[in-house]
Amino acid sequence: MRFAQSPIHLLNLGNVSLLICSVGILAAGCSKPSFEANRLAAASFLESQDQQKVDELAGSVGELVEQVFGPPDAPKWPENAPTAVDMAEVERCAGPVGRAYDKVERGLYRKHCVQCHGITGDGAGPAAALLAPYPRDFRRGTFKFKSTSIGSKPLRSDLVKTIEHGLPGTSMPAFGALRNRPEFEKDIESLAEYVVFLAIRGEVERRLLKRAVDSEETPSLEDAKRVAASVAELWVNASANVVEVPLIPDVPPAEYAASVERGKALFTSDQASCFKCHGNEGKGDGVSQDYDEWTKDWTIRVGIDPASKSEWKVMKPFGALKPVVDRSRNFHLGGLRGGSTEQDIVKRIVLGIDGTPMPAITVSETDPNAFNLENVFDLARYVASLTGVKPETEAATDSGTANSAKGAQ
Amino acid sequence: MVNPSDSALASGVNASQSSKVYRWAAFVSCLTFPLIWLGGLVTTHDAGMAVPDWPGTFGYNMFLYPVTTWLFGPFDLLVEHGHRLLASLVGLIAIILCFVARKHEPRRFGRIACWLLLLAIISQGILGGVRVLLDARVVALIHGCCGPLVFALACGIVMINSKDWKTAPKSIESNSLRWSLRILLVLTIVQLIMGAHLRHALPQWKPSLFLSFVHTHLLVAMLITGIIFAVFCTVISPKFRGVTGLRGPAAWLVGLVIIQVCLGVGTWISSYALPWQELNEFFARYTIDGRGFVETMIINGHQATGSLLIAGSLWLLCRVERRYVAAAAYGAVPAQVADATPRSLVR
Repeated sequence: MRFAQSPIHLLNLGNVSLLICSVGILAAGCSKPSFEANRLAAASFLESQDQQKVDELAGSVGELVEQVFGPPDAPKWPENAPTAVDMAEVERCAGPVGRAYDKVERGLYRKHCVQCHGITGDGAGPAAALLAPYPRDFRRGTFKFKSTSIGSKPLRSDLVKTIEHGLPGTSMPAFGALRNRPEFEKDIESLAEYVVFLAIRGEVERRLLKRAVDSEETPSLEDAKRVAASVAELWVNASANVVEVPLIPDVPPAEYAASVERGKALFTSDQASCFKCHGNEGKGDGVSQDYDEWTKDWTIRVGIDPASKSEWKVMKPFGALKPVVDRSRNFHLGGLRGGSTEQDIVKRIVLGIDGTPMPAITVSETDPNAFNLENVFDLARYVASLTGVKPETEAATDSGTANSAKGAQ
Repeated sequence: MVNPSDSALASGVNASQSSKVYRWAAFVSCLTFPLIWLGGLVTTHDAGMAVPDWPGTFGYNMFLYPVTTWLFGPFDLLVEHGHRLLASLVGLIAIILCFVARKHEPRRFGRIACWLLLLAIISQGILGGVRVLLDARVVALIHGCCGPLVFALACGIVMINSKDWKTAPKSIESNSLRWSLRILLVLTIVQLIMGAHLRHALPQWKPSLFLSFVHTHLLVAMLITGIIFAVFCTVISPKFRGVTGLRGPAAWLVGLVIIQVCLGVGTWISSYALPWQELNEFFARYTIDGRGFVETMIINGHQATGSLLIAGSLWLLCRVERRYVAAAAYGAVPAQVADATPRSLVR
């Protein structure tokens, strides 16, 4: 009776039992974060789903990579490898979040990125399965939006741009707001350094796995260091692969309309074949839809049909997420991930999008079978017109008209 | 059996004495809510370890830490140190509440509730400290789960000192409403735990574990929404026409759950965007503003409204329980004690 008068007993019982449950549930997740071995790549290279075999290979190579690059809380740079990252910044991004007595903030990666990209940078963070597209797996060393040619490493500025401006229509946020506070203003550059570190680490691991499968023997520490040096070299020399993208000129409205018409014709022509993926009207409903390279690595390339659940499911124990078709963009919705300005579109046409079915085109003023610059500009203007982006001259005219209207008022 | 003196006091012997407890308890509740908000901000900005020591702040006594460094220093330090200072204030007010209750609260369970609240606040403070000293996200999760429960307890103390608690007549026979609200309270707490897991998800978690928490969170959200609407329909039904004091809190719960569902959707979108970005132009063009003001407020609002839902459920449950057991309790009161109670209060 007395209990019935007091609501406290409800809280007591609830509080205590829920605390116990909570602690129980969490007991399994209290371990210190560690870099996970790339079991998916091991299974793919082995073309086997034998757990023991895969774990053995992935585990031994994982240990080797840990010796070279250190654990998540204490990263280190491989001896004798060319300096591809600023280790001071990498150390600031690694480890748990917080400030020490020096008031320097650490653990930036776990603060901003780990929920989606995971500790290892495998794109399999806790939230990954619910996101579309899936977060990027850095370990392949492939990045989509960059200034360098297909197959090359991106520049730091490319990664900084993605981190700062985010990717519209995806779960990748724009962290530009960090620039608004002096204590965080360099965080974006630091994060880009750590992303490169994880990418190098992951690619070294993949190469060592491949080497181990090909040579049927576990690589040595020296092998690992050599591979690390060669991968780091690629990043150091990334700027050599920058492709100069010509600036799209402003044209008068009449010429612009003609250019858009020419672009439309090109878009639906067999020469450009844009329509095959993007559809005749650029709605992303073309007949040819494909998977990205990250998915193909563990599916098509090892004889697994990504569309067949019974087939791809065998790779699930190794960390595979359900394969999803990398759908072509519906330009009418706008929000192009590589940027929505005409210049951004020119860049994407010329450079392609690495790791996806979007190819880079060859631009030549002499080869009649290749595209010339005018063709590229026409295509870019057409695509921009579908997204609703106005050419700069027209936008300027509009704002000028608006300003003069305001002035008149 | 009911202790006669307790029963007499429970029916409200001296309203002016108890109103002091009511006011101090309300003060604690009013301070605890912004404390929860600030705690949410600590989580949203991952500022839990912005200060490496505890109970000091960068080697200073917490209360002597330079104000200018706090206010104009790094944002995460501003939030974390502010959380600590406000928590200390809440603790101080809770101590005062206990002394006020010792002097002015004649009911034993009322005094115990106040001491329990103080104990809970102190435990929360220690948990927060342990989270810092061990740098353990798991402890942060438990700390985050307990915060709203402390707030609910403070609201519960306000409730048992309210005029309604002392004067509510027995007017409910139905057991189903009581049980619905009991289940609702438990579910809101379960939901709090699920939400805290999503907010504090450990980096080493597998996507499948996170997925299961999301699914459970959605399922419990549906159950809570259903129960709240069912409770609301019940209390406005003709069967409850003569029962006062339930419609208001039930309507508040309906309002809160609607806001909460909207904030929940907003929280997901502002954290991870929609997985169907081609749904329309807005989602295709939407770029999450990482650490942006609007995003932060939505996420924090979701967490804070969750706390209000727990407190609201408890509030309504107390009112229903009171209307169910009041007569039974009073029935056990000796005649002379009942006579000593002002009729207006007994009624």
